[in-house]
Amino acid sequence: MSHPRRTLYLYWAVVGLYLLVLGWWMYFFTRQGEFLARRIEAAGVALSPQQADALRDAARQSMRMFLFEGVFLGLMLLAGVYLVVRSMQREIAVHRQQRNFLLAVTHELRSPIASARLYLESLQLGRAEGEKRERYLRHAQEDLDRLRLMVDQLLESARLSSAGPALRPEHVDLAAFAAASLEELARDPSTRAVEVTLRAPEPVHVVGDASALGTILRNLLSNAVKYGGSPARVEVSVSRNGAHALLSVRDFGPGLQGLDSERIFEPFVRGGDESVRTRPGVGLGLFMVAELARALGGSARAREAEPGLAVEVSLPLSPKEA
Amino acid sequence: MSGERLLVVEDEEHLAEVIADNLELEGWRVEVAGDGVQALERIRSDPPALVLLDVMLPGMDGFAVCEALRAEKRDVPILFLTARSSSDDRVRGLELGGDDYLGKPFELRELILRVRAILRRRQWIRSPSPAGERLALGSATVDFKACSADVGRRKIALSPKETLILRCLAERPGEVVTRAEILDRVWGYDAFPTTRTIDNFIVRLRRALEPDPQSPRYIHTVRGTGYRLTP
Repeated sequence: MSHPRRTLYLYWAVVGLYLLVLGWWMYFFTRQGEFLARRIEAAGVALSPQQADALRDAARQSMRMFLFEGVFLGLMLLAGVYLVVRSMQREIAVHRQQRNFLLAVTHELRSPIASARLYLESLQLGRAEGEKRERYLRHAQEDLDRLRLMVDQLLESARLSSAGPALRPEHVDLAAFAAASLEELARDPSTRAVEVTLRAPEPVHVVGDASALGTILRNLLSNAVKYGGSPARVEVSVSRNGAHALLSVRDFGPGLQGLDSERIFEPFVRGGDESVRTRPGVGLGLFMVAELARALGGSARAREAEPGLAVEVSLPLSPKEA
Repeated sequence: MSGERLLVVEDEEHLAEVIADNLELEGWRVEVAGDGVQALERIRSDPPALVLLDVMLPGMDGFAVCEALRAEKRDVPILFLTARSSSDDRVRGLELGGDDYLGKPFELRELILRVRAILRRRQWIRSPSPAGERLALGSATVDFKACSADVGRRKIALSPKETLILRCLAERPGEVVTRAEILDRVWGYDAFPTTRTIDNFIVRLRRALEPDPQSPRYIHTVRGTGYRLTP
């Protein structure tokens, strides 16, 4: 059992004991008139009917007071319990998230190191000749590229969360930018098979930073390809929405699958358990998208597209357009 | 040993490719499965000589695959190959019935040596024992094949590891067999962190087979070295 979960159970046990004691006290307080009358009777003191009435009245009055105070205390206690349990549950979620992140990073960093190393060792030991040798060299290089991307992403997101992005604002036509990025994707052998359609009927100018916009689009596309089912199909669109430009990337995969549409923009959040990994990555892509969109004065949101998931980035239009 | 069929369960295409190629160069026939569920089905329908099993897999993780196989009493040897190489993960993998554990990244030569060691051990386990199929210890008779012992009128089930330790000792009666030798033959050279593990097995064997486990007549401890069997 994990440490926060154990604390939570211990806390429930303490609260249970507290409620039990409170109930026991309440019982005695509310019955005190009756107990007192019994003791007086046992001591052999005879009370007149008026005195007995006065005693009962006084007991009833204090009973009402104790009931009111007891209920008030009980409600306060429950409110406190609610707050503590909620915070502990959050802690458990963070703990699980961190564990998942660690497992994902371990896998994402060690797998390409392991294969690149084996390819090179095989070459060194003369176990690959001719075409196989070329293939091994190419694959080792791909492993190192994957490792570099992963390290870049880790460093970039660490920088984003500590210092924020360094931006160089310039006027960018989002429609042309998206078209150029998709051409690049079509040339990449790992994503060549993905069916991507772009809907950008007119130029839409925003004030952005080319490098930040590139990261946003790359991360959205890579996310859509990863989660978009097989064979992956992705729809990209650039449009105007009031004073904003809207960049939308939609896949045709399983959608949010119970994940919160806001939480998926938090760092290290990924669907499912990392022991049963279904997709590469560590859960930083959408976090970077949201951080960069915010830095550019916009926002990011996700919605179920039935089927699939659509992630929309809204950016302020350039003053020339607005 | 060459020509035996091995199953590599790995979802990373590059790793699966380079491992499979190199094992084939050593003369083994290699198949690859990309996820846990597929691996389990293949092992059930046609068990290979050895499974090289990744832990973080799509569908069903490697630990669960191993657990399911052992629960079904399938003793196909398993070598875990995984990025999760903390000592907790290692111990868990071995406790679940894995034969050995190799953390990524690893050296090619080490991988091949470990595969050979597991297959050699398995071959020893399957080959008929030079000591015969049965071993008589006073009123107790051990059946190596059935992993059981008749003690008087009682029939006692022995675990595969207990049977192998006994067989290891019975193949050299009257001689001292060191703890390291027993570890090497029964577990593999560094599968378990301590040789004390064997001592616990010996205690259990004495309780099952010795008339008086406190002063053993058949399974003797040789202080600081190992054990000796005198049938």
